[in-house]
Order: sequence, then structure tokens, then C-alpha cells
Amino acid sequence: MSKSSPKRSVEDLEKQLLKKNQDLNEKYLELETLLDLTNTINSLDDLNELFFNVLTLSSSILNSAKGVVLLKNDVSNIFDPVSVFNIDELKIKKQIFNTRSGFLSELNKSKKSFIISQNNKFNHDLFDSSYCLVSPILYDKNLVGAIMLFDKETREGLCDFEKNDIKLLDAISMQTSIAYQNVKLLESLKKSNKLNENIMSSITTGIIEVNLFGEIEFANKEALRLLNKDEEEVIGNHYLIIFEKNDQLLELIQKVESEQERVFENEFELKSKRKKISVNLSCSPVFDEQKSFSGIVIALDDLSKINKVKSTFKKYVSKNIVDKLLENEDSLNLGGTESDITILFSDIRGFTSMSEKLSPTEIVKLLNKYFKSMIDVVFKYNGTLDKIVGDELMVLYGVPLKSEDDTDNAVKTAIKMFQSLDKFNEVIIKEGYKPFKIGIGINKGKAVSGNIGSEQQMNYTVIGDTINLGARLCSHAKSGEILISSSVKDVISDDYAFKKIPSIEVKGKSKPIEVWLYKHK
Amino acid sequence: MSDSIKNIEDKNGVIVISTSGYFNNVAGEAVLEIFNEKIDSGSKNFLVDMADSKVVNSIGVSILIEIIEKLQGVDGKLAFCNLAGIVEKTFNIMGLTKYCEIYDSIDSGVEKLS
Repeated sequence: MSKSSPKRSVEDLEKQLLKKNQDLNEKYLELETLLDLTNTINSLDDLNELFFNVLTLSSSILNSAKGVVLLKNDVSNIFDPVSVFNIDELKIKKQIFNTRSGFLSELNKSKKSFIISQNNKFNHDLFDSSYCLVSPILYDKNLVGAIMLFDKETREGLCDFEKNDIKLLDAISMQTSIAYQNVKLLESLKKSNKLNENIMSSITTGIIEVNLFGEIEFANKEALRLLNKDEEEVIGNHYLIIFEKNDQLLELIQKVESEQERVFENEFELKSKRKKISVNLSCSPVFDEQKSFSGIVIALDDLSKINKVKSTFKKYVSKNIVDKLLENEDSLNLGGTESDITILFSDIRGFTSMSEKLSPTEIVKLLNKYFKSMIDVVFKYNGTLDKIVGDELMVLYGVPLKSEDDTDNAVKTAIKMFQSLDKFNEVIIKEGYKPFKIGIGINKGKAVSGNIGSEQQMNYTVIGDTINLGARLCSHAKSGEILISSSVKDVISDDYAFKKIPSIEVKGKSKPIEVWLYKHK
Repeated sequence: MSDSIKNIEDKNGVIVISTSGYFNNVAGEAVLEIFNEKIDSGSKNFLVDMADSKVVNSIGVSILIEIIEKLQGVDGKLAFCNLAGIVEKTFNIMGLTKYCEIYDSIDSGVEKLS
């Protein structure tokens, strides 16, 4: 039995102490790095940065020579390398990793870190490695990725990972999974916020959100436009300040605050800077998850555009048609399309000779009165006033809104126009003027309707043979007469007192046209 | 020259070794090899520039400790410059900073060591 010298024992003891000290430092480093990792990954909101940090820090504390993070592609279900450390990315990018077989299949089942030793069926050549430690990244308990570390380094060369390494990487992968979930949740929150923002900024309804303290928390673009205010002016301010000139609106908000029930106001007058805007307003209470009142949402629908359309259209069509068009935009046909229409022309007989005896002021005054009484009848039967040319009226039925009674309405209009003319004449005769005499022509058929003209001036009108024949019938009609074509006669009731008269020849038609006559009085 | 070594130069008698990438066993061995060559030709002062090595492991660090031990035997010095925060922290924990200085730049390191 050999006896070692005291000097040798002290040296051995010193070496052992140094080794223990180094081991202790390494453990301390592991702990510190793990803490650093936790702090770092929980403050990251970018997945690439997250995985690179996980990879480098775990490689550092586990002394692995290289590593890779694989992440499942939601579409293909293939696990792609999203971060590499000391590995040729191009080489592994060509490899398909999935859970159908191999180490990912095992990881998917166990959901725990494990060592893939040299004996395992694993393509170590792909990573130019001999040993591998793999750990799962989980989302909702499902495998969404893997952290892979290769070849544990020692001064003596590369070696296999140990049980302690598994425990350490398990802790890291657990932290990584939480950080991954946080990033994903943040991403989805950002996405839904962006979607909300896009919806809010694109809708034509003004939306204002008032919080529990009466401060305006949100106002979309349309609301700011209606209020004629900047975002900075509105957000964070109390509604009492923002709506200070809108007493009625303040009353409504306060009513919702106290009663916590939704209120609607149609055609509400909103006072904006220097102007008043007609809006449909709704003021709704908002409740939080505990069903406690948490604020108010005000929705404003600008009616000024609709009102403008209404007043413009009303010059040409009856209120009836405007309302129907606004109710159902699809029924509106303003394109250059061919459709069945009925057209009515009327003009004043002997107007030129009559006007020669009157002053221009008298002519305008009389014509305005005459047209008013005629157009009232046109609108009563849902005709669309196409144009007034001199003493001539051109009225359409079936555009822009189609109805089964279009032709019947045209005939009724014509008959009623004569009745109105009688009343009109009674009045002007008393005023010392000669009575007006009119003739009317009605035709039905295909015509092209649409906005016709140039960029400078464009009018909604109709063109085609049907229109030309309607005009010819009108010019053939004598005073007190309505002339209709066979296409009109075919669809109207026999109750109307139309009589067939000899066919007439019209310009542009090779054959004579069959005509029916209605004689007023 | 190994991929882990970016540059070696003699600045005023100070051997400046600039490393690149993961400072692990491979990088440590590469530095040790240069150190052995240079010490044999009489150099005593070394500055390791780690501006491009943001990750180290304990094997790399243990090789650096070995170099420090050898230098202590010949009254030489080893210093580091351009350390990333996490690397400096690792050096502190592993006790490296008790035996060698850390500088902000190559120039300030060379100035102190020469």
C-alpha cells in the first residue's frame, strides 16, 4: 500500500477544491442564464428573435455545439427550421420534418424532452452531428415546434447529453412555449385590433365611444368628419365639452346614462361647427363582462347625402320611385342597358303662333303653370320626366324602375293630362289667354337607357327606334288626341276607348304603322 | 486560420486576436493554438476582441482560464475587449474577470497592455 506525500495530498485537495468551485460556478451560470432567458423571452414580441435567443442561450448553458428550432407551418403541417445556430441552414431546409414518423412522432406522443443517441434511427449526417437533445414547444398542449441541440462539448471532445441536460432543456422549452403563446396571442390581438380599426375607418356610420367617466375614448373617421373636429380635439375630452352646443344630444346621452337603455332618433339635427347635419342617431349603453354599465356608444348615420339624392331625383321622378330606389339599390338601373320601356310625348299645338302674341314673361309664366300641372300627373302615375324641350314633354315608364303597370300608367297619365289641361285652361281663359291645345303619342318597345353625354354634361335618358316612333305618333296627334302604337294597345285594358284608325306612314319606317286613337271630349 | 478567428495582429507588442461566432470548444482551441505559437515566439500580452462573438459556453471559458494560468507562469497578461453584455456576465460568474481586464475597444486595451 503506497503512502502519498503530504504535499501531494494538499495539491490534490486544491485541485478538487478548484474543480468543485468551477462546477459551482457552472451551476450558478446555468441558473443565471435560465433567469436571463426567462426575462428575455418574456419581453420579446418577435418570434424570430425569441427563438434565436432560446437557441443561443440554451446552447451556451448546455455546452451544445449547435442547434435548431423547428416550428410547425399552420398550412402544410411541416416543421420548418425557423432559427439555426452553427448549422448550415441551406442543408437542412431541403429536409421535410413532420410528426408522421421519426423523432417528431415520438416527441408528439411524449411531449417531453429526450436524447436521440447515436443508436437511434436519426439522420445525424444531416446535422453533421453525433448526439442530439430534443425538446417540445407546445401550444394548448399540442406540439407546435421543437428545440434541438446537438453534440455536448467537453475538453475531451463531443459527448452525449445527460439527464441533467434533459431537465434543463425541459425548463427552457416550457418557458419558450409560454413565450410563444404570448407572442401568438399578442399577434392575434394586434390583428383583430387592426381589423377593427379598418372596419371602423371604412364604415359610413360615425361611431363614438364614451367611457364610464364621460370621456370620449374612440371616434372613427366618419364621426370626426360629422363633428368637423380633429382626433386630438375629441379623444380624451368629456362629451359635455365636445357636444356643448348640442343640448338635445346631451339630454339623450344623459338619459342613456341614467336609464341604461338604447335610444334612437331619426332625422336628428347634429350641430357641427357652423353647420347642422341631419343624422339618424342611436345611443346605446355598453356593459362589461360583469354586466355593469361601462359607457355609451353613439352611432351617427349622415342623412345629408341621402337627402341630396332625394331632392335631386325628385325633380325627375315621383317621391314614390325615389323611396323605392333608396330602399332597394339593386333595382336602380343607370347603366347603358336595353330594356322594355313605354314612352309618352306631348306637345302644345299651335304654340309658336300663340307665343308670337304674348310677351316673353307671359310665355314663361304660362308654360311654368302648364308644366307644373302636367308633371303633377306624370309623377302621380310614376312616370320619369326625361326632358322638357320647348313646349314638349318626354316621359318614361319602366326606367329606372320597372313595374307591371308601366304602359297602363302611361295611358292613364295621358288621359289625366287632358283633364288637368281642361282645369288649367279654365283658369287661363279667365285671365284672358287662349286655351292650350295638346296632342300625345305613346309607344312601347326596347330602348337603351343610361347616362348619355360627354364628361362635361351627362344625362340619364333613353335612345332607340321606340323613342323615335313615340315622337312621330305625338307629331301626328291632333289637339285632344292620344295616338298609341299596337305594342301599347296589346297590353292595355280594352276598357280604354281607343279606336283603330288608318295606318300612318312615318319617316324611317318602310311599312305603315298601325295606330289607335283616343279622342278627349 | 480557423473560421472562429477573424483576425490576428501585433499592435505595439500586444497580440490582438479577434474572434468570430460561437465561442465554444472550437473557438477556444483555435485561440489556444495561436496563444501557444505566440508565447513560444516571446509574446506575453494578449487582447481578445470578442465584438463578433455574442455567445460563449463554459468549455470556451475553461480554455480561456487555461490560457490565463499559463500566462501567470510567464508574467504575461490576457485582456478582453468589445464584450456583449451576456458574455461579460458569463465571464464574471465564471470568475474570469478576477484575473483579467475588460476594455471597451481594441485601442484602449492595447494602450493599457503595451
